[in-house]
Amino acid sequence: MYRQKLYASLKQLFKKNTMAEAAPSSSGAPSSSPGASNSIPDEETNGTYDCNICLDIAKDTVVTFCGHLFCWPCLHQWLSTRPDRQMCPVCKAGISKEKVIPIYGRGSTDNKDPREKLPPRPSAQRSEPENNSSFGNFNMGNLQFSFGIGAFPFTFFASNFNLGDARPGNPSAGTQQHQEERVLSQIFLFVAMFFAIWLIIA
Amino acid sequence: MANIAAQRIQREFREVIKSEEVAKCHIKLELKNDEYTELKGEIAGPPDTPYDGGVFQLDIIIPETYPFNPPKVKFITKIWHPNISSVTGAICLDILKDQWAAAMTLRTVLLSLQALLSAAEPDDPQDAVVARQYKEQQSVFRQTAKHWTYIYAKGPHREAELEAKVSQLRGMGFEEHKARVALSTCDWNIQRATDHLIS
Ligand SMILES: [Zn+2]
Ligand SMILES: [Zn+2]
Repeated sequence: MYRQKLYASLKQLFKKNTMAEAAPSSSGAPSSSPGASNSIPDEETNGTYDCNICLDIAKDTVVTFCGHLFCWPCLHQWLSTRPDRQMCPVCKAGISKEKVIPIYGRGSTDNKDPREKLPPRPSAQRSEPENNSSFGNFNMGNLQFSFGIGAFPFTFFASNFNLGDARPGNPSAGTQQHQEERVLSQIFLFVAMFFAIWLIIA
Repeated sequence: MANIAAQRIQREFREVIKSEEVAKCHIKLELKNDEYTELKGEIAGPPDTPYDGGVFQLDIIIPETYPFNPPKVKFITKIWHPNISSVTGAICLDILKDQWAAAMTLRTVLLSLQALLSAAEPDDPQDAVVARQYKEQQSVFRQTAKHWTYIYAKGPHREAELEAKVSQLRGMGFEEHKARVALSTCDWNIQRATDHLIS
């Protein structure tokens, strides 16, 4: 099951990438003059990836939260020109050094002399996807579950509560895992109640 | 000059040359030197304003810190407008001061100036005399602005009555432009204008 999820997320990632690659060419096509050939025109591109300050193709690219693209050295100089009024040079939205995202393309400029990159571009933030961490707990849940059945009926309540409480990460609502577990615990509850009633009657 | 400034002006210059506003003769941009530090701009007076049909020339100086600081722009052509000095041509426009943003270009500056001619802001004046007239004597203001456009900006609308008054003061030995300024300032009252010129 873990593999299946990994595959699914990889597939999604791949889909995103191809979409991103497809976007500029499809949006660029109608704006170029009808007579233009399909080869890449250097000066006549629609400037989607041009820095909004130097008007050249952006280097050490960053994008603001408002979606405007700049070279980091250009944006840094703008921000330091007016330290008291930090705003986007295009739409005048409030921005700051912390609120820009660096863009790393495939042909990144890592071979460039780092001294030329001063001041350093803000670093990207990356958090681990949440799905993976709940997987390690799944087996543990099963273990507790089977233990609960073995000791039935005396540990019924304890094991039932353990299912919910002892695990650090509950599967989030709506996921497949969450639903499976709900069904299992419901069946378990029914069986338990049946036994309880049977015990009382007997 | 800083490399980025010169490089940007080059690009902007090409952008303006190719723009449809140039094709329609609404704006124009000319280089005054090879270093891209001085340019001459030109805007057409917008329709439905006293400046309609006039052509207004602008002096544009690119600072070394461009585009992080705005270009220095002033009118060469004399103009009667609340936000432009009738004496020096200095302009009061927020984007040429604290509202400048590095993504703005000479094209947006020229178009903003054209918009300023359409919509004056008399509450934030550069020329207090013109601003007062604009607020208190709107029709006199329009006549005066039209007359100035005809005389200094090749405008098409003659104001014969006002021209006659200028000639009258010239006949009294006053210099033409000074006479025009005095008359414009005094809402075209000859007596007051004469007093103004003598004092
Ligand atoms: Zn740049
Ligand atoms: Zn923005």
